[in-house]
Amino acid sequence: MGDSQYSFSLTTFSPSGKLVQIEHALTAVGSGQTSLGIKAANGVVIATEKKLPSILVDETSVQKIQALTPNIGVVYSGMGPDFRVLVRKSRKQAQQYYRLYKETIPVTQLVRETAAVMQEFTQSGGVRPFGVSLLIAGYDDNGPQLYQVDPSGSYFSWKASAMGKNVSNAKTFLEKRYTEDMELDDAIHTAILTLKEGYEGQISSNNIEIGIIRSDREFKVLSPAEIKDFLEEVE
Amino acid sequence: LTRVWPCELSIKRTLKRKKANGPTSPRWGKPGTKPPPRSFLLPQSNPDSLLQLHIRDSGEQQIEATKAPLLVALAPSPHSDQVRALVTRPMAGSMDLPTKGGFDFGLCRRNQMLAEKQGLKIPGFLKTGTTIVGLVFKDGVVLGADTRATEGPIVADKNCEKIHFMAPNIYCCGAGTAADTEAVTDMVSSQLQLHRYATGRESRVVTALTLLKSHLFKYQGHVSAALVLGGVDCTGPHLHTVYPHGSTDTLPFATMGSGSLAAMSVFESKFKEGLTREEGIELVAEAISAGIFNDLGSGSNVDVCVITKGKTEYLRNHLLPNPRTYNSSKGYSFTKGQTEILSTKITQLKPNVEVAEGGDAMEE
Repeated sequence: MGDSQYSFSLTTFSPSGKLVQIEHALTAVGSGQTSLGIKAANGVVIATEKKLPSILVDETSVQKIQALTPNIGVVYSGMGPDFRVLVRKSRKQAQQYYRLYKETIPVTQLVRETAAVMQEFTQSGGVRPFGVSLLIAGYDDNGPQLYQVDPSGSYFSWKASAMGKNVSNAKTFLEKRYTEDMELDDAIHTAILTLKEGYEGQISSNNIEIGIIRSDREFKVLSPAEIKDFLEEVE
Repeated sequence: LTRVWPCELSIKRTLKRKKANGPTSPRWGKPGTKPPPRSFLLPQSNPDSLLQLHIRDSGEQQIEATKAPLLVALAPSPHSDQVRALVTRPMAGSMDLPTKGGFDFGLCRRNQMLAEKQGLKIPGFLKTGTTIVGLVFKDGVVLGADTRATEGPIVADKNCEKIHFMAPNIYCCGAGTAADTEAVTDMVSSQLQLHRYATGRESRVVTALTLLKSHLFKYQGHVSAALVLGGVDCTGPHLHTVYPHGSTDTLPFATMGSGSLAAMSVFESKFKEGLTREEGIELVAEAISAGIFNDLGSGSNVDVCVITKGKTEYLRNHLLPNPRTYNSSKGYSFTKGQTEILSTKITQLKPNVEVAEGGDAMEE
């Protein structure tokens, strides 16, 4: 890296003490499609709207929710290609952790390592910050957990959170509807209703994506048929 | 079968040319010149064939071979733990740099010097001295292994696990150096998991096979792992053997390890196509038992693994033909009077025993 002409960081402080590039990255996130996550008493649900640029796009080829390990999944708001890079790196880090400690990586550790990668890109030469915010959902020995990671590399644990276009409305909605002892199925209904709030157009099983993790610790992305069942329950 | 590497021919030409030109004055030391690449001459059993590796001095080791596209690692004195350290080093840094393959030659000169001058005996490694087998039956693959790990003449582990997990539908038996088989199977298992995430599909046996053989070939036989790899994927059941130098075979039945001849004799006489699951397990157990009873390097119990489409059963300690029969199950009891008392001497301890109230003496 040292020999290149861009061995200086492109993310520099402004006189007011802000890192303007990170602010811009957050703006990019804020104009991305809405995604949200809810931590229930016995699991976590993450969901996102999957608006495709045209009806001709094959929606089965687009996967916005990905599994990082068998018990940890992630969804994003922002730039899809940046998300793919982070998913690849996180998966590799989870494998390396396993090979080193022969223990499946705890959710907090994976979040920390992913956040460290995102921070590196705000302080290295010739690179720009990632234009995504991640919602990482997992279930390990410390129970169900939901974390949000920002382009700056800061991470927070949430009981329920939303990101992207409709964030303020979605968060208000979640604040009203969230209860501590929610069951996972209630959480899924709440998630669908929250997405419906800000959705422009008709919500259906093909234009939203939902990922859940129950106490069996198996992260799975719901199929369109399963989403349809939940949608019908909500109606 | 001696193979002549293409690089050997070009090296001979280089040597001839260098001899013809005569000794050249040192080109480094003048401003603006870099020192020439260091070249290591590695002792080979055949003095006519020299393999030269040029290592560029840039702080990072990039091992390049003169005109040989594939050449990498050679170590005069392999240390299984050093090789392992290279294999399991976690990747640092945020950028996905291309992996720097090959052996780290830093300590080779020192090892050579220690061996020659100070007569240091290079430590041996734990070999498994094993019987491992595999066969293809009607619905899938059956793998079998014994459970003895030897360290020379000593049994180091009476019940070790030689059937390693690669993927939910692929298992691998390992013979050779225990550390090498463990490390190599763990590494490939990890790579297969990443590949499954990237593709969203079940792993194929040939993928595991290719990852294993490329790794072993890269290390030119110094990673002493002889494997029997079996599994069932979307293209059907597969069984392969992998040798330490990186060659592979695809077979309907296979045996490896020091007990392979005993096991192969059983297979050759009793194997037939289209065995049922029970017949397959019985035949594998029989082959491993042949190895256990006729080979000193194999012993203890029989482990079996049955892989079919969609289901894998790992039958740990399927047979226990060597139980410990010399221990009394009732335990030992010695009644009073069985030991003859020859003499008695009673020494009084000091009558004044002071109990100190020491609450602060013990610090946590």
